[in-house]
Amino acid sequence: MVDTVLSLNRKYRVAVSWAQDQNTIWAIHRTVAEGFVDALLIGNPTEIIRTCESEGIDPGKFIIIEAVDSADASSVAVSMAKNGEADIVMKGLVGTDVFLKAVMDKENGIMIPGAVLSYVGAIQIPAYNKLLFITDPAVIPYPNLQQKVYMINYAVEMARKFGIARPKIALIAASEKSGKNFSSSDDYASLLDMSKDWNIQDCVIDGPLDLFLACDRKSVEIKGIKTPVNGEADILIFPSLESCNPFYKSLMLFAGGELAGLIRGTEKPVIVMSRSESQISKYYCIVLSCLMA
Amino acid sequence: MVLKTLSDLKNIVTGGPKKKLILAAAQDQHSLGAVLKAWKENIVEPILVGDTESIQNICISNNYDISGLRVIHEPDLVKAVEMSVRMVSSKQADVLMKGMVGTSTLLKCVLNKEWGLRTGNLLSHFALFEVETYHKVIAVTDVAMNISPNLKDKISIVNNSVSCLLRLGYTMPKVAVLGAVEMVNENMEATLHAALLSKMNQRDQIRNCIIDGPLAFDNAVSLESAKHKGIKSEVAGDTDLLLMPDIEVGNVLYKSLVFFAKAKVASIILGASAPIVLTSRSDSEQAKFDSILLAAASCK
Repeated sequence: MVDTVLSLNRKYRVAVSWAQDQNTIWAIHRTVAEGFVDALLIGNPTEIIRTCESEGIDPGKFIIIEAVDSADASSVAVSMAKNGEADIVMKGLVGTDVFLKAVMDKENGIMIPGAVLSYVGAIQIPAYNKLLFITDPAVIPYPNLQQKVYMINYAVEMARKFGIARPKIALIAASEKSGKNFSSSDDYASLLDMSKDWNIQDCVIDGPLDLFLACDRKSVEIKGIKTPVNGEADILIFPSLESCNPFYKSLMLFAGGELAGLIRGTEKPVIVMSRSESQISKYYCIVLSCLMA
Repeated sequence: MVLKTLSDLKNIVTGGPKKKLILAAAQDQHSLGAVLKAWKENIVEPILVGDTESIQNICISNNYDISGLRVIHEPDLVKAVEMSVRMVSSKQADVLMKGMVGTSTLLKCVLNKEWGLRTGNLLSHFALFEVETYHKVIAVTDVAMNISPNLKDKISIVNNSVSCLLRLGYTMPKVAVLGAVEMVNENMEATLHAALLSKMNQRDQIRNCIIDGPLAFDNAVSLESAKHKGIKSEVAGDTDLLLMPDIEVGNVLYKSLVFFAKAKVASIILGASAPIVLTSRSDSEQAKFDSILLAAASCK
């Protein structure tokens, strides 16, 4: 991913909202040092400079812009993206709700009119032989059919940026058997139907599938199930934020996973990460957003 | 006491009187293999109920030696299960295990009002995971039995699981009620349940454990994450039992831990008058063995 971004030979202007956070500054500094990012740090200048110094980083490498509080910093960052002064917006030490409010603001926000706001993550897991794209662990609690269509489109778009020509999409459930008891059964059936004459071509889609059938060829063989995804999913669509969120967190904490993720549905890439996310995960997120910009 | 690994369960089993495990419809190669391994390691005293000829054929082709074992001939699947359940309810055996028979057939017998294993409690699934990067085993419930439990069901599920942990030697296990977020959100029912369960615990309506929730997965199992978010909780980062919002969440997490995190897992059904081992075809032989071990250790 990093090599691809470097080969584009471009500089991306990243506006960070309420930037005085150690992990964020570490990550953004690395991308600046590697030469593909110009950083605009918005927040309390004294705090930002102090945070830089505590990390042994020269604050002179960044443009620092003053803001009075986290809400103000968020609207400044978003309006810079809107005015073309920034290519990417990134959340710093601000709560997700405050930050997204600025992104979604009707007048000054950067939502694509009519689009659905959703989150797509790319996870690298030692126990899986390729990247896994997942959605939505952070924004839509219980996606409806229309939102699921957007989620699929966003995930496919990201997978394509990684050179996956024909991504395999698994619609995740507790079992491969459809049933009234499972909220997404009807939506999944509709999605399969729609995919036959879909506007996104060149993808393989099947569901409901449980995680084993989606990601483990052996399970597919043992169960004797015929599925075009065949235990080699690139993309997992989850029925709810409730199931996707602990899934990716279990991978990060217990399976050595690394996540890079982005908000989609906006005019410019928006980076939203949990404040507790590691430095390296934040770094990968910035690289990913450059790739998508 | 807390368990660090699944093999710590052996310490609970050894020394005490050997528990009798009854394998219903025993003509099933995978369960039979695990049962005989547990027998050889002195974990249980098995009783096999099923079609003797098929059982013997399996033993011959897999080199299993069952000499000295009690085998009861009953070729009919339903009758074999009924006989097995009756033997458990009349205290002739301590653990029930499913062999070559469907889950629904087995549960129908377990829930029989006259001779079943009903206690008045909800049946629930209890899984114990050993994950390399967590400092002790972690129990997860319910990932397989109850599809979308309401508050009342969740109280029963917690009670089932906490009594099981107490029988395994725990005192005041720490229970995290899982949510996608740690704030109570009126649009997410699981977070409302979590808040209510925590309060009921504070008021001693749910006893013998410490409950906190909602906690997102990272805060439940990582003190560092909880600290970063400024969460003050006795449970955060030190969870013994993780309560799932519903089966959709539980199933994904279970499979993520087994497949991606290479966790070891043992699981049993709780809420009946005896522990039930109900493994599936896709479980590894090790998982089946560990489930038998867990069942034996969790007997009263």
